[in-house]
Amino acid sequence: MTPKPTASESLGHRAGEAFAAYQSGDHQRLGDLVELLTPVLWHTARAQGASGATAEDAIQTAWLRLVDSADRIADPYAVLAWLVITVKRETWRLVRGERREIDMEELPEAPALTLGPEQTSILGERQKTLWRHISSLPARCQELLRVIAFSDRPDYAAIAHALGMPVGSIGPTRGRCLQKLRVAIATDPSWEA
Amino acid sequence: MSTHTDPIDELDLANLVDLHELFSRVDPVPADLAERSRFAITVHALHAEVAELTRAEMLASRSPKDATRTESVTFTSGTVSLMVTTRVSDDGRSARIDGWVTRGGAVVEVVTAELTTRIATDANGRFVVDGLPRGWVHFLVWDDPERAEARPVITPSVEL
Repeated sequence: MTPKPTASESLGHRAGEAFAAYQSGDHQRLGDLVELLTPVLWHTARAQGASGATAEDAIQTAWLRLVDSADRIADPYAVLAWLVITVKRETWRLVRGERREIDMEELPEAPALTLGPEQTSILGERQKTLWRHISSLPARCQELLRVIAFSDRPDYAAIAHALGMPVGSIGPTRGRCLQKLRVAIATDPSWEA
Repeated sequence: MSTHTDPIDELDLANLVDLHELFSRVDPVPADLAERSRFAITVHALHAEVAELTRAEMLASRSPKDATRTESVTFTSGTVSLMVTTRVSDDGRSARIDGWVTRGGAVVEVVTAELTTRIATDANGRFVVDGLPRGWVHFLVWDDPERAEARPVITPSVEL
């Protein structure tokens, strides 16, 4: 397990430093920002139920928007939340575009976590158990926990807000989603911490 | 009995680490997504013309003693072509690029994840860059660097 990051070492803070440098003219640092945030943005897009290709399109569009809007983003340390919101919106715009072309029956009603037999086969017993529990949570909790799992603790509140979750979903306190996961796991006799 | 208003503790963080591993396993980030995003940003920011990869071949690999991997790639755009030959060092850690641009005096940027090397080609359009880190690389070419407003040509990324 990685050591608990302090606020100044969190993903959001490091992203803010890179973006501030980019805003002041160090264009090379945008590459660092892309490197840092690609995983959390991938899981943000995929948590909406988007295909891999749609997720990639949404993420690339979000980066281009960032380049075009860079001068107007007053707080560079808000860049993580800004990108999470933009990727989520862009993913839905693309997904809805797809819906017009594809039969409604072919698409799930809401983003739901599903796992094919091939993916299941690569999981160990412990991960299968965890999968069962996370996929039994409300869809919004699945989304929130998946995305924050790719960030650091000081960033949880900003990400929850960016995803449109109610205040207090997660922040300095564990919020309902982490609590639900905790209870689900705790009541499972097959789970060993 | 713990509630959702309790502070996040070690157990919550351990659960999130497990989730991180789970999702990394079932839905890994595509290996070249970051590189492709960087590429899209550069094309967009520089209004660059995108060259096509028109030819790629592995050059004869020699005896097992000298199994240096050499690869030759050609990119073509409307205004300029770029041919690069890449060779991985004996220890496998770095790579050397021998390049040739169809216009002498062009300026080339060799862009890897870690560093960008800007180099002027000689009168015949040749250039050499050594000690490059392995991984993805793409090239930007200004065929007439005197013209400040000139759009560069950007190549797709190839793996060193």
